[in-house]
Amino acid sequence: MKLRVVVTAVLAVALGVVATTASASTGRQQANKLTVWLQVDAQSGWPDVVASANQQFQADHPGWTVDVQYQNWGDHLQKFDATLAGGNTPDVIEMGNTEMVKYMAAGAFADITSFKSSFANSANWLAGLAKSGMYGGKVYGVPYYAGSRVVTYRTDLWKKAGIAKAPTSLAQFTSDATKLAKVGASVKGFSPVYLPGTDWYFAMAFVYDFGGSIATTHAHKWVGNLDSPKSVAGLTAYKNFWLSVSKASKTSNEANPAPYDIFSQGGAGAIVGPAWFSCCTGAKFKAVTGQFVMPSHVAGKPMPGFLGGSDLAVPAPSSNKALAADWIKDFTSTSAEKSLQAKGNIPNATNLLGNSVNERAAARSWFVPAAKHWVDVENGNILRTMLSEILGGKFTVQQAATLASDNITATLNQS
Amino acid sequence: MASAAETTPSWSRRRAFSWRRAGRGTVPYALLVPVVAILGAILGYPIYSLVRLSLQKYGLFELIQHKGHYVGLHNFGLVLHDSIFWHTVLRTVIFTAANVGLTIGLGTLIALLLARVSSWVRILVTSGLVLVWAMPPVVAVQVWNWMTNYQNGVLNYVLTELHVGDYFHHDWYATTFSQLSMVTALIVWEGIPFVAITVYAALSQVPGELVEAAEIDGARPWRVFFDVTVPIIRPVLLILTSLSILWDFGVFTQAYLLIGQPQIRPGNYLMAIYLFEEGYFKNDYGKGAAISILMLLMVAALSVVLVRKMVRAGEEAET
Repeated sequence: MKLRVVVTAVLAVALGVVATTASASTGRQQANKLTVWLQVDAQSGWPDVVASANQQFQADHPGWTVDVQYQNWGDHLQKFDATLAGGNTPDVIEMGNTEMVKYMAAGAFADITSFKSSFANSANWLAGLAKSGMYGGKVYGVPYYAGSRVVTYRTDLWKKAGIAKAPTSLAQFTSDATKLAKVGASVKGFSPVYLPGTDWYFAMAFVYDFGGSIATTHAHKWVGNLDSPKSVAGLTAYKNFWLSVSKASKTSNEANPAPYDIFSQGGAGAIVGPAWFSCCTGAKFKAVTGQFVMPSHVAGKPMPGFLGGSDLAVPAPSSNKALAADWIKDFTSTSAEKSLQAKGNIPNATNLLGNSVNERAAARSWFVPAAKHWVDVENGNILRTMLSEILGGKFTVQQAATLASDNITATLNQS
Repeated sequence: MASAAETTPSWSRRRAFSWRRAGRGTVPYALLVPVVAILGAILGYPIYSLVRLSLQKYGLFELIQHKGHYVGLHNFGLVLHDSIFWHTVLRTVIFTAANVGLTIGLGTLIALLLARVSSWVRILVTSGLVLVWAMPPVVAVQVWNWMTNYQNGVLNYVLTELHVGDYFHHDWYATTFSQLSMVTALIVWEGIPFVAITVYAALSQVPGELVEAAEIDGARPWRVFFDVTVPIIRPVLLILTSLSILWDFGVFTQAYLLIGQPQIRPGNYLMAIYLFEEGYFKNDYGKGAAISILMLLMVAALSVVLVRKMVRAGEEAET
């Protein structure tokens, strides 16, 4: 008797659960909606560009709505993986240019080569950015925008220290920094140039400046190259520069704390990072914020900077691929790219390039190895670990570089 | 029920079959059927899936195709031949031992204190403990992060002001030991309330006459505690210890968030982080599943030992 009651109750509950989930899943199905995943940068930096692309799209396709969902760089790939496994992938996704290869190789994106001619300025796309969206000769990603890394500095401190102009060589910058240190000494923990210890984007610029590289290919295999004499020379220069100009934590990264926060609190004479860092230098220093291109160790040349950027891709499971391509067309139109440029970004095509500090810095740039498993090197923090070991003195530059290099070789050559 | 059947001493008596007894014997099992069925559905199926996944090559490509291919025990071989795995196991065992020891030790001390203070102090301390307990781990991590901040954390400020040393710009996350010590501090702080309140409840079960008698016999406080109090509260301590071991062995949230992804590397992996980084972050789900199963086996082996001890302690307490 009791048993029957229990069984009935259990069955009732189970059926109830099934019924509610079933109704929920049918209720969620909504027609005529294009889902777009953009990074929060668009939400905080250029919501107007997003809005006008949506307007254009909705005017061209009456009855359709665009659902823009903002994501964070830190976890958007995990979320995307989950949608690949479980369905509900977005129709358009913004991908960092270093993240593309792995997903293109795995077949996560739709081939949009046939739509290429419909995108504005597609014949003149920035070579580096366009390459990050191509795999096996096919187009999977549309260049969205790029950004280079520049030095953001306080002109008032520069004046106070009696420095007339922006440095034109690494040695000049180093000696300017010692003058700045004296001027800023009243602020406890002042960094003439605030550099997070494990900002590998900046550290690798030294490696490329000295003619080294992260990895090379040899007989269809990747070979880590950080232990080569030229790379080691670059890493040594980074170590020396860092130790003489920065008081940041040797284990800190460029995201936490944000360098511009240190700047806005008066803790730094200069910071290095994306050109849009000028946005957030604080009300107090807004009028005395300037930018220049990081100088090379060879006088008169810029140091090669990391060319970051984003691509827009259409996930393979999307059922609205043509519409997705159409939205991308609206979002990367010449007027949209010009608005992005006005916000301090580098537009996606050479014919739109201007002469801002950001665009000048892009003249000499470097990019990560185009290997399927590169993102594992990045996420595995191999470079960050090496940098904190070098700065902390746990290993010599050569030792740390050899360890990292072997690790990179193994990671990039995984099947 | 089960223990009654087990304690039936002689082999011959069990053979003496009676329908009435058999009928009485099956009712409890029948009553268990629904629960077993539900558990089977919500635990059994995922475990089956996990085992199947662990025997497959299942990466990003397979994820998109929704189909892996069978590779036998390859993933297990990969993990077991990886020195990172063994280092992580060792690190996690030491980490767990330190965390459990500190949590139980400090929790018990606070419980003993609670038993002796005036009632308003007890209310104050208990409320404090409950507040700590109620704080979600992610929020606690954020608070800890601010306190140990390199630039302007209050910990560095206070230590410097108290002339403990010059802690200005001290990096609490510079070495693996220091990183894991910070995580330990956070976990112990979060774990103490549960232990303290439970042990305090257990202490109220210790008969006052026994303690008094021991004291009259001239036993010192230490002896009273170890020879009178501990044996009585042993079952509770065992349960707390085993729960703490299970929780701390699989800790993820606090360690991952406090150390921060940019500083996570094979040199400071704990088991759950190893699983997450190698399995999910690197999109090698088959390997991730193999690591999960190995972790599950370790925890299961540990649980068997602990549960047996607990049952024995419970039986001793009854007699």
